[in-house]
Amino acid sequence: MAVLLIVSCGGENSKTIDGRAAEIYPPGAEKCADSNGRSVTIYSGRTENLINPVLEAFACETGTNVQVRWGASTDLALLINEEGDKTLADVFLSRSPGPVGYLESKDLLGTISSETLDLVEDQNHSASGKWIGFSGRKRVMVYNTDEYSPEDLPDSVFDLTGEDYRDKVALPGTNGSFIDWFTVFMDVHGKDVATQWLDDMVDNGATYYPNNRSIVEAAGRGEISMGLVNHYYNYQIKASEGSSHKAENYDFNNEDIGSLLVITAATILDSSENVQASEDLLQYLLSGSVQQYFTDRTFEYPLAAGVQANSTLPQLTALEIGSVDFDKLGGGFEEASRIIEASGILNR
Amino acid sequence: MSQIEITRSTPVILRLSVYALAFLFSFPGLYLIWRNFTEDSDPVGLIKTQRVLAPLWRTFSLAFTVSLTTAFIGTILAWLTSRTDLWGNRLWRILLPIPLVFPTFIGAAAFIRTMNPGGLMNRMLEGAGIGTVVEMRGFFGAWLVLTLFCYPYVYLPVAARLRQLPKSLEENARVLGQSSLQTFRRIVLPQVGSILAAGSLLVFLYTISDFGAVQLMRYDTLTRSIYTNRLINQPTALALSLLLLLLAAVIVLSERFFSKVTFTSQETYTGDPVLYTLGKWRIPALSIVLVTLLLSIGAPMLALGDWAADGISRTTRGGSPLTIDRGQVLESTWNTLSISVITGCVAVLAVLPIAFLVSRYRSRSGTFAHSVVIATFAVPGLLIALSMRFWILRTDWAFDLLDNTKTLLVFSYIVRFGSLAMGIVLVAVSAVPKKLHDAGQTLGTKKFARFSRIDIPLMAPGLGAAAGLVILSTMKELPITLLISPLGFSTLATRIFGSFEDAFVAEAGIMAVILVLLSFFLTWLLVIRRADHL
Repeated sequence: MAVLLIVSCGGENSKTIDGRAAEIYPPGAEKCADSNGRSVTIYSGRTENLINPVLEAFACETGTNVQVRWGASTDLALLINEEGDKTLADVFLSRSPGPVGYLESKDLLGTISSETLDLVEDQNHSASGKWIGFSGRKRVMVYNTDEYSPEDLPDSVFDLTGEDYRDKVALPGTNGSFIDWFTVFMDVHGKDVATQWLDDMVDNGATYYPNNRSIVEAAGRGEISMGLVNHYYNYQIKASEGSSHKAENYDFNNEDIGSLLVITAATILDSSENVQASEDLLQYLLSGSVQQYFTDRTFEYPLAAGVQANSTLPQLTALEIGSVDFDKLGGGFEEASRIIEASGILNR
Repeated sequence: MSQIEITRSTPVILRLSVYALAFLFSFPGLYLIWRNFTEDSDPVGLIKTQRVLAPLWRTFSLAFTVSLTTAFIGTILAWLTSRTDLWGNRLWRILLPIPLVFPTFIGAAAFIRTMNPGGLMNRMLEGAGIGTVVEMRGFFGAWLVLTLFCYPYVYLPVAARLRQLPKSLEENARVLGQSSLQTFRRIVLPQVGSILAAGSLLVFLYTISDFGAVQLMRYDTLTRSIYTNRLINQPTALALSLLLLLLAAVIVLSERFFSKVTFTSQETYTGDPVLYTLGKWRIPALSIVLVTLLLSIGAPMLALGDWAADGISRTTRGGSPLTIDRGQVLESTWNTLSISVITGCVAVLAVLPIAFLVSRYRSRSGTFAHSVVIATFAVPGLLIALSMRFWILRTDWAFDLLDNTKTLLVFSYIVRFGSLAMGIVLVAVSAVPKKLHDAGQTLGTKKFARFSRIDIPLMAPGLGAAAGLVILSTMKELPITLLISPLGFSTLATRIFGSFEDAFVAEAGIMAVILVLLSFFLTWLLVIRRADHL
């Protein structure tokens, strides 16, 4: 933060950066670049803890004045909609594609240059060029290690509707990435199959929890046996709680919809007057050192620059790379939410 | 007496400032009505569907139950700590307001982590062969955690009032052979009645606006429907929000209707209030206080402290380093402290004119402004934030002046929390005996001198409690702080959110502990200052 303040004051720069930001830039450098006269304002639904080091490094390396508003992706999307073309935001970083799809439907997004879009594979940016993925998180099943070992767990989410898993599974029904996941589920298997699966889960005694984190914690306590979550929460909680946290991630068969990769998205607002700095930032997010940071430090999947996923993360294969069209998320999001609500899971 | 009142005309400045305040406080409500029109929402059609009626009923029953229990606990605690010889009173007075400072999203999560099956408490008790069997969830969980975090809304104002009550009536009653209990019921209760009703009303309104606790306890209320629909189905979310505000308005109006309490005290204030001797009730009384504190502060602090301690020891044993540094924590702590103290003081000043108009002049517009301020407390913080953006963006001069400033942040906080000060300030103003005032007037004392020598000292405990309530609530506020604060402004609450969202529990724990220590320091100041004062 101190760095940002000083950088924003412009002038000659004797400031260096430290901590996690220094892992990204500059490796052993003496001081930050002088101000380049550009500035960029970011509304970030990615939390400060995860991404601020990247933004500090960007400010230091390029001399760009960076300002951030932190918040929940959904709330920030609502704020941008309220602000319209008077928004302070140049760039919006979202935890999941849903809120970005919402802004696209409101015609508030600009078009990202093809130079930037080409940094990721085609399926990881929108066909219209309105937004681009910059890291990925995988859907997995977290389970309590006192009750289960991996060989007892099923190959597919479709097996979870069976008698063996009655009253065992928790679902984060109102969570953004769960809704995103279910939207893709509907797209891949058809609406009827997806709806049937969810209804069967409810009949089979699935319980509702409000978010990924509370499921991972509850599994660690043994309050529940297993639950469908994003993969990286368990890494953070294990790091803090150690052996008293009795939960591990389980990766479904790689062809299964249960092991989908959901991407985090970046977008430039149509009203932005700092397009160059915004493009620079997006390209920076997709650079090798930042992608490396994402996988080593925040346990996410890199999407660009040929960076390999950290070896502690579950392997990525078929389904995650390429077969899912995230463009469908925008429109399908609302329908998915309606089906989830109608299933009754939220009251379980 | 009534003659003086009739001849007293309302000062124009007072009247105008109250109109302005009523207008400012109605921003969120006007925004909701406007948005319902522009988004083609259908609140009337929606209310006919089961989808709304069930959550609406759950919202109401939860809020009703929580306000009933907090009224009970809050009053008992206030009476014990301010009117009896309970052991450790000074310490309890410092500790009892603190649960207010827990942001519910992390407070409830920490409470669950301690109390639920397999939680910390369970592990500690396992050795003794006692297992926790009750899972905190649904109605029970939401009720318990909201009661534990909300009782200070009743406790603080009632305690302030009790410490200020004239003792002559009570003494007379006891001389006339009434027992303590009878005295309490017939003399004390009626005198705290209005402030008790005001406090319970705040609890009711807070409960219907809360999202963090009901979400984590998985209890499906209106707020949860608003949050789940806010992005994917805006018209529905907006219609539901309007219904929420209507429910609040109905409750506020009916409270006014049912509690026709005489506001003006005719008694002269006479120093120390009566102190009761607890005798054989010493131990049960102490247990009530201890159990309340253990559950409301102890349980969440155990989980938060455990996270914090783990985080701190992690670095010494060579684990992954913490992601926050001392500079960031100090900066956020200072921001939290300064912005909440400023908000607390300005909020009290802002509602004073309304309180004067209602209490001294019995004005109808004053009563209307009072109701608007109170009902706005039911609007969830997210909607307050969005409505502030909405109005600022549509007023060019206000946009140039206020956009991206701390002034706008403080203003938004006051709209959110002004209600907390309103009720207490009103009672404090009304508690200044008119006799004194009239005597001052007769003796030709100037208005300002009257105010500073008579009004201020007598109102001080009430104003202090009012500011305290606002300060503690502002310290934990999240949605407004995130969306309205100037870019780059962080508080402890926003940093807790930033860490906790992605399960950096060690960092969240450390900052939550700092938040609680900070509130301890503030309530200590408040209690010590007041003790010197009286």
